[in-house]
Amino acid sequence: MLQGALSGLAAGGVYAIIAVCLTLMSRLVRVVNFSQAATGMFGSYVAVWMVSHAGLPIWLATIAGILVGGLLSGIIGWIIATWLSEADTTTRSAVTVGPLLLLISLSFILFGNKPQPFQPLLAGPAFTVSGVVISQVTVAMVLLAIVVAVVSKVVLSRTTVGTQLRALSERPTTAELIGIPAKPLGVAVWAITGIISTIVIVIVAPSQSNDAIALSMLIVPAAAAALLGAFRRLDLAVIGGLVLGVIQGFVAQIDQVSFVRYFLPFLFIVGLLLWNQRKAVWDAAR
Amino acid sequence: MSTLTLTDVTVSRGAGPVIRDVSLTVESGTITALVGPNGAGKTSLLEAISGVVEASSGTIAVDGEPLGKLSRVRRSRRGIVHIEQGRAVFPSLTVVENVRLASGTAARAEEAIALFPELEKRRDSAAGLLSGGEQQMVVLARAFAAEPKFLLIDEMSLGLAPVVFTRLLPMVQRFAENGVGVLLVEQFTNLALSVAGQALVFSSGRVTFQGSAAELAASPELLHTAYLGGAASA
Repeated sequence: MLQGALSGLAAGGVYAIIAVCLTLMSRLVRVVNFSQAATGMFGSYVAVWMVSHAGLPIWLATIAGILVGGLLSGIIGWIIATWLSEADTTTRSAVTVGPLLLLISLSFILFGNKPQPFQPLLAGPAFTVSGVVISQVTVAMVLLAIVVAVVSKVVLSRTTVGTQLRALSERPTTAELIGIPAKPLGVAVWAITGIISTIVIVIVAPSQSNDAIALSMLIVPAAAAALLGAFRRLDLAVIGGLVLGVIQGFVAQIDQVSFVRYFLPFLFIVGLLLWNQRKAVWDAAR
Repeated sequence: MSTLTLTDVTVSRGAGPVIRDVSLTVESGTITALVGPNGAGKTSLLEAISGVVEASSGTIAVDGEPLGKLSRVRRSRRGIVHIEQGRAVFPSLTVVENVRLASGTAARAEEAIALFPELEKRRDSAAGLLSGGEQQMVVLARAFAAEPKFLLIDEMSLGLAPVVFTRLLPMVQRFAENGVGVLLVEQFTNLALSVAGQALVFSSGRVTFQGSAAELAASPELLHTAYLGGAASA
């Protein structure tokens, strides 16, 4: 049981990192980016292709794949910053469904519809606690989730660029009127979160279902985790991701209800939405 | 000496033009008041100058150099600072952070904050928690920190008691004394005219009066005629 729950930490770490990216995107560029995981999937597929077809060393292919993920995300961000700069969050978010579907389709066309032969960057156990084996991937994911959240927090609160990004997220027009370059900063946020998503997926893909749809749909549990922090709080996004992963790992160990793990993110989302709306319902009833 | 020149500027929004063929010159160290009824096009004119909206025809130039399709960011770097209607603070940022955003140096930001003793006391408070008057002080301090050549102020008094606004006006005069050309859109017509040298009255997107602010202030009939859209000459 404990082994199962802890094995869910690796997936939880992935959810947490992508949730942090989603939270940053929502706070800073007013988008719930449905293509967040898909850009990571595509970048990691490019890395696999470069190893298997172009014969590149794995480290070089991985770097290239990560850059492709960041570039793709940056391009989507540039399109939105250019043509939808004044659009509301709902419209900007809805537009990202387009790249999600496009990248899945493109990956089918370019790489086929079968899981890719990923070579693991990290493999094997990291350490054992009371007989429970903790894998290197689990340690890497949990640490990366915490590091990304802490670094993001520090950058946003302690640096000039961070202050500019916060200003931009609150009053984009006012920020531009005092000389803050909205478009380059916005595109940089897109590119950086694209790079982070690709790094995560490159690391975790060899140890889980790695077809294009499974990887792209990591957005669902990640969105559930981000929702815990209302797409505003990075710490709750990390906690949400890790808790969701552990619960999924735990449930997977119980044969009678193991299928429930697939629905858990949706249950999580519905539960949080209902909880968040409780006050509105009460107000309406009054 | 810098000059902001508008020549036959027309701005369209939606169905048609909201301002038509406006020509105007603002020199550094002067205050120009733009007054007129709601919906006359005053805000649109300021937005066209700062690049929030694009002028559909005509020329806007700084020191004879047309701004063309320059972005808002580039216009601000040319020295055009636009204080928008309402409370244009970044609410979650502290007073210091708000002011430093527009400042080239920390020293300039400190100088700007020091202009308002009220802000000194609340420098680490989130700007969104300040009173309306204090928020406008933050906006003015931020504008000061930006070292503008031309300052566009849109309805700074909105939502403020006249007594509070009266305390902010000397700061607007100080900008002009420091060589900044100020374009002041204001609902408190008499207060605006009392500090301005030049005045324009807008009605239905057209300039119906352009001349001395003192003359307009001294002649309620002239002001009344211009507000109602009749051509009045100085």
